[in-house]
Amino acid sequence: MSATISEQAEIRSMAHELARRELSLRTAAIDSGDQDAWAECWQLLTETGLDRALLDERHGGVGLGVAELLTVVEELAIGDGGIAMSVLLCNAALATLSDEQLAGLGEGARWALVPATSGTELAISNGQLDGNIACALGCHGVDGVVLLALDRSSPATWALHANTAGLKFKRDLAQLGLRGAAAASLELQDVSAPSTDCDTVIDGASASALLYAGTAAIARGIARRAHEMAFEYAQARQQGGVAIIEHDAVSDMLTAMAVRLTCRPEMLIEASGKLRLAQSLAAKIAATDAAVATTTDAVQVFGGTGYMVETGIEKLMRDAKYCQLFPQANWLLYRELTKA
Amino acid sequence: MTTLVESQPLSERFPRLTARVDVRELERLRTRAHRFAEQHIRPRALEIDRHTDQDPAWFDWDLVRAGAQEGLLSFLIPKPAGGAGGLATQAAIVMEELCAACPGIALIFGAHALGISPLLLGGPSQWDGVLAELVASERTDSPLLMACAITEPEAGTDVEDPDLLARARITSHARRVPGGFRLSGTKRFISNGSVARWITLLMPTDPRRPVETWTCFLIDARSEGFKVARVEHKMGQRACPAAELTLDEVFVPDERVVGREGDGAPETMIVLACSRPPVGAIATGIARGAYERLQAWLAEDPAAKGLLARQHVQLALANMEEDIHLARQAYMDAATELDHVALGGAMSHPAVRALGRIPAAIRRRAPVNGWLSSPRARDATIALLHRTTTEQAVTRSLGLSSMAKARGGDVAMRVTGTALEITGLRAGPVRAELEKLWRDAKLTQIYEGTNQLNRLEIYRTLCQKETINCLPPLHNHHDGHTQQPASANGNGAQR
Ligand SMILES: Cc1cc2nc3c(=O)[nH]c(=O)nc-3n(C[C@H](O)[C@H](O)[C@H](O)COP(=O)(O)OP(=O)(O)OC[C@H]3O[C@@H](n4cnc5c(N)ncnc54)[C@H](O)[C@@H]3O)c2cc1C
Repeated sequence: MSATISEQAEIRSMAHELARRELSLRTAAIDSGDQDAWAECWQLLTETGLDRALLDERHGGVGLGVAELLTVVEELAIGDGGIAMSVLLCNAALATLSDEQLAGLGEGARWALVPATSGTELAISNGQLDGNIACALGCHGVDGVVLLALDRSSPATWALHANTAGLKFKRDLAQLGLRGAAAASLELQDVSAPSTDCDTVIDGASASALLYAGTAAIARGIARRAHEMAFEYAQARQQGGVAIIEHDAVSDMLTAMAVRLTCRPEMLIEASGKLRLAQSLAAKIAATDAAVATTTDAVQVFGGTGYMVETGIEKLMRDAKYCQLFPQANWLLYRELTKA
Repeated sequence: MTTLVESQPLSERFPRLTARVDVRELERLRTRAHRFAEQHIRPRALEIDRHTDQDPAWFDWDLVRAGAQEGLLSFLIPKPAGGAGGLATQAAIVMEELCAACPGIALIFGAHALGISPLLLGGPSQWDGVLAELVASERTDSPLLMACAITEPEAGTDVEDPDLLARARITSHARRVPGGFRLSGTKRFISNGSVARWITLLMPTDPRRPVETWTCFLIDARSEGFKVARVEHKMGQRACPAAELTLDEVFVPDERVVGREGDGAPETMIVLACSRPPVGAIATGIARGAYERLQAWLAEDPAAKGLLARQHVQLALANMEEDIHLARQAYMDAATELDHVALGGAMSHPAVRALGRIPAAIRRRAPVNGWLSSPRARDATIALLHRTTTEQAVTRSLGLSSMAKARGGDVAMRVTGTALEITGLRAGPVRAELEKLWRDAKLTQIYEGTNQLNRLEIYRTLCQKETINCLPPLHNHHDGHTQQPASANGNGAQR
């Protein structure tokens, strides 16, 4: 069941308001590792049900379709890209759980989808999982994870509570971007995990498509914010006797940013409301490369001021870079795309 | 870890070097810088980056002391003042080596060199003052650092070009008073600003005519009225603090005017022509550092198994090799052009060499010293510049320097960004090093004039063959001013 057009608009504007009013106020604090600021934001998101928006009301969700979720995470990313990523990963994880599994979750439980490559990161044999997954975004402090084996023709998922025997989390302290989705490395040793393949909102294949399209949407949100900030600054800052926006060197960068923003991830959704993997991969590549270019240029528009942490623009550059690298770097996805 | 350039001698790489420079000396300098980088910089780079993320004002004096022992604070100071007499080529070679390990730490030495540059233009008159003091301090436990302050809150790009300076919103002002000037205003983003003992600082003596009255002053950071207002929290290159400096009626005596009053605009252009090749080298070093780390990771880390067999990776590595090679050619070309063509004549002029042969003890005695610090000596230095070079030559050099800087900055961003893409988020310890280099790289597109400004400079100087006013005029319209109060005070010419 997906939301009506007016409901979609309402949800979008709610996410928009939340991003502008609440997340953007706390984004610098979250970036510097302030747990309280992060918890306040997450509290607001759970109150609105956006952390589990894809689920229906029985499970505390709002019954959003994938398209609406993409708009929601894009809007949230204007406030904080990391928080938006946490929302995406939580939604994607919960949507792969069965009714029965969902019923067993505590209220407000936070989960994260963890993409992994089988073989190098995750070994599966006789129903046992072993492996090491570094820098799993959004996994620090979660109640559970859904592992998603990315490189299989029909990606499988495994749901694991955080306290599952043989599963260990270690906070990734070197995380450079999307810090609102605090990363951990996961160690799995002889973990037994049944596959979740029945009666779920989305299956493994759709979860990976959602992951790519969602990352594209978040990257677009980050790029929109960077464009907005750079545009505003270019009108206010004067050099050479005029506002710097009057110089082609600056206005060309701003125009290129606007041009890149014409690619919209939600346009990928088919009439049926489903996401196709190939389009999602293409969107992920295009939108995250665009976001890296846009945020890098946005810092440039700010000149030396852009290099200062307090301006908040360099953070967008780091966040965009993480979108480009997550769940895998774009060049590795070329092959997937060719196959798809 | 192997380095890209070690295998091939500098003389083969850059044939122009053999003509006039002692290449063996350059080679020794490079080896020393490389060793210092490997021993002292690389092992501490991440730790210092984390420290300064928590506390941007935190500063590692131990590293400066270690660098001082290697002569890294004096290699640009002329030999008669006790230094090694290096120029842009030496600065660039050292910078690439240090930056391959950590550009933030390297910037401490780079910003120090930038602070020294205007003093070098002052010629022999500067040898026995602060330059000698810097050399002497290098042998003590408390080495002295320098900084150069040009940028103001309302004027960044605008102070990097004389045409723009004419329209700039300059808020600083050096007011003439008996015996010197009183300086007021704010300088922003000054590398080493919070740790430097001496600062070369540019300001107009008449803010309504900034181009004509732009003047370089040598500021003692212990002066009354001088304050470090804040230290910035930066994205990268954090080991070197960038500070906002405020001056409230800071007194600077006439003898600490570097060059002549009103010569600041052309002096700035020469300083930028000298400092941009080393910035190109900083960027090249960053790119090389990322490339070396990536190569090591691909060869050694089990997580990278099979990647080298992928053409995508091979092509990316080939592009990096190409980029780094061309960036290095660009900065070496610019540096050698400056040292041997644009300014070479002045530096190696027989008169300068003869003065250099006078023992320092004699040079520092009253009659010689009195003449060296007189306005006539300053005029003679300018006259020598005019005899040994032309505005066209310096302009061309400036164009090449801008090219080295802008190209280097783009290469640093491209190589570090691609290296991160190849290793990805799952790469283990090398990820943090590459991420740091990527953050560090962004600055090279911004400081020393943004890449946009530098490319506009290339357009004017090389595409349009415009000649930029980059030599102080032979006859300075402030001559009367500078001499009058000085002699009234018993300083300057009469001393
Ligand atoms: C970490 C750091 C260290 C630094 N260290 C020093 C130092 O030691 N000493 C020192 O004096 N300065 C230093 N700087 C200052 C540096 O040189 C300036 O930041 C740089 O020149 C750009 O000036 P700005 O920051 O004011 O940017 P702005 O001049 O405001 O530029 C903003 C944007 O407008 C563009 N722009 C501006 N004018 C024009 C124009 N006329 N035509 C086309 N485009 C234009 C720029 O390219 C840029 O994209 C440092 C800066 C940083 C960030």
